Amino acid sequence: MLPLLVSQVSKTFHPSKRPVVEALKTVSIKIEQGKIHGLLGPNGAGKSTLIGMLSGMLLPDTGKIEIFGLDIVSDTLEAKKLIGVVPQEVTYEMAFTVREVLHYFSGMHGVPSHERNARIEAVLTDLDLLDKIDERAKHLSGGMKRRLMIAKALIHKPKFLILDEPTAGVDVALRQKIWQLVRRLNQEGMTILFTTHYLEEAEQLCDEITLINHGQVVREGNLKDMQTEFAQNSIHFELFDINVPHLAEVKSIGVEFEYPLTDLGPDMHALTSHYTGNIKSIKSGAASLETIFLELTR
Amino acid sequence: MTYMWALYAREVKRFQKIWMDTVFSPIVSTILFLSVFGIVAGGQEIGGLPYVLFIYVGLLSMNIVNSSFSNPAFALVIGKNTGTIVDLQLAPLRPWSIGVAYALAALTRALLTIGLAVLVTGWFIPELGINNPFLLLLAFSLTALEFGMLGVTFGMWAKGFESLTFMTTFVMQPMIFLAGVFYPIANLPAPWDTVSAFNPLHHNINLLRYAVTGYSDGNPMISLVVVAALAALVFVAMHLSTKKKMRAL
Ligand SMILES: Nc1ncnc2c1ncn2[C@@H]1O[C@H](COP(=O)(O)OP(=O)(O)OP(=O)(O)O)[C@@H](O)[C@H]1O
Ligand SMILES: [Mg+2]
Repeated sequence: MLPLLVSQVSKTFHPSKRPVVEALKTVSIKIEQGKIHGLLGPNGAGKSTLIGMLSGMLLPDTGKIEIFGLDIVSDTLEAKKLIGVVPQEVTYEMAFTVREVLHYFSGMHGVPSHERNARIEAVLTDLDLLDKIDERAKHLSGGMKRRLMIAKALIHKPKFLILDEPTAGVDVALRQKIWQLVRRLNQEGMTILFTTHYLEEAEQLCDEITLINHGQVVREGNLKDMQTEFAQNSIHFELFDINVPHLAEVKSIGVEFEYPLTDLGPDMHALTSHYTGNIKSIKSGAASLETIFLELTR
Repeated sequence: MTYMWALYAREVKRFQKIWMDTVFSPIVSTILFLSVFGIVAGGQEIGGLPYVLFIYVGLLSMNIVNSSFSNPAFALVIGKNTGTIVDLQLAPLRPWSIGVAYALAALTRALLTIGLAVLVTGWFIPELGINNPFLLLLAFSLTALEFGMLGVTFGMWAKGFESLTFMTTFVMQPMIFLAGVFYPIANLPAPWDTVSAFNPLHHNINLLRYAVTGYSDGNPMISLVVVAALAALVFVAMHLSTKKKMRAL
């Protein structure tokens, strides 16, 4: 049974007095058991809209979503019990302490009262938040609030974890910690879907990625395959001074430049002799995810 | 306490945390109303019932209605503003059970508020007794649940605090004032007596007053049927609104 099977899902928003937004157009995604799957795409691509539908917060207009074989629309309750979701927007708890937030939220997911305290302490330890357990949630820093959201998603031990930008606004050290936690949960058997705008994060963690743009899947699959495919036909290089006359075949992609690869030796020679002394880095190896991303979402 | 009961416990905890607002201020307003009307009305009777007792039960009923409506309505709108409403969307809860959890919390708050209010102010009213305890419990619960679920329904649709304030000022308040809280509706000039008879809230107040004092504006059993029917109707509206809104926010 696949943790996630999305087939031909579309969603259009009809905001009052504003033009309609086709947020997703017939998107299909499949995630296998035990994988870490990255959902990437520029701002407004439709990632959060898709996650909203996977987690039962939004109804798809067309198509079908199955969580471990359970239809999220007709078997909502059973499907929701299997997933943990970290929404993109950080919520603001007016009155409750960290412990209370987790106590009630876990109860709403069916965790019995007598198990809650132990679980709360365990999950807060994992997220390095145990010392804040009796603090008012609204007094936490931004990064701590984000961790509390992750704690909420984990408290009922879901089999499939969905994270919408879990590391946004989180410092470097903590980001590493979250990565470690994600890896550990994955090794323990949890399937994970996450979105991020930090491409090196996706490179580090993901087994597979789906790249969406303007509500459509533009590429999906194994990151390694994508990298070799993109590396096969180009050389990537950076320059110290970019305001120089360029060779006709050179394309600019973000901070990098790309040169079509036909024969490595002569090509390298052509580049080094044209940009003498100006080349900061050059490689014909695997393209970075950033390059692939920019290329595909142009 | 799992699933909807955890939500119920959370909502009870929420109003306990701000008990000055939720529990204490209705008590103060009851005392204020009561002292003013007690002084003005001193000694008058309505159908053999001391006016001060008539109005006392009316005021307490008004409190049940007001606090039951606003507790869930405001909690939901606050949830929309702070983003915590997603907790309801993510939890494996049926739409009706979300509404019932909120309505039961509203009932709990009403029981606590009214219990305390009676404890504090009851001894001003020597004639106070309970005519029919079973009916009182039924009428109390039905009223608090009906308006609690109405509060959930409005909380689901309300976009912000403005729409809730509009609702309380232009719908709830006029309904309360035409419901026979302060006087029997038969005493009203036409057409307000007829309008009041069709005011659903009139039946809640009448039934509660009958259960406490034995005095009724019209047949109390009609009021019971109307109150029960409305509670059932509001339950359906609440379920459908919650189902629609929890999947589209
Ligand atoms: N409730 C809504 N009403 C109207 N339009 C919406 C709504 N939610 C999302 N949209 C629109 O749908 C599109 C996709 O938005 P979405 O939030 O899914 O993007 P995203 O990929 O998550 O972007 P980001 O990386 O910025 O989080 C955007 O154009 C957005 O404006
Ligand atoms: Mg998003």
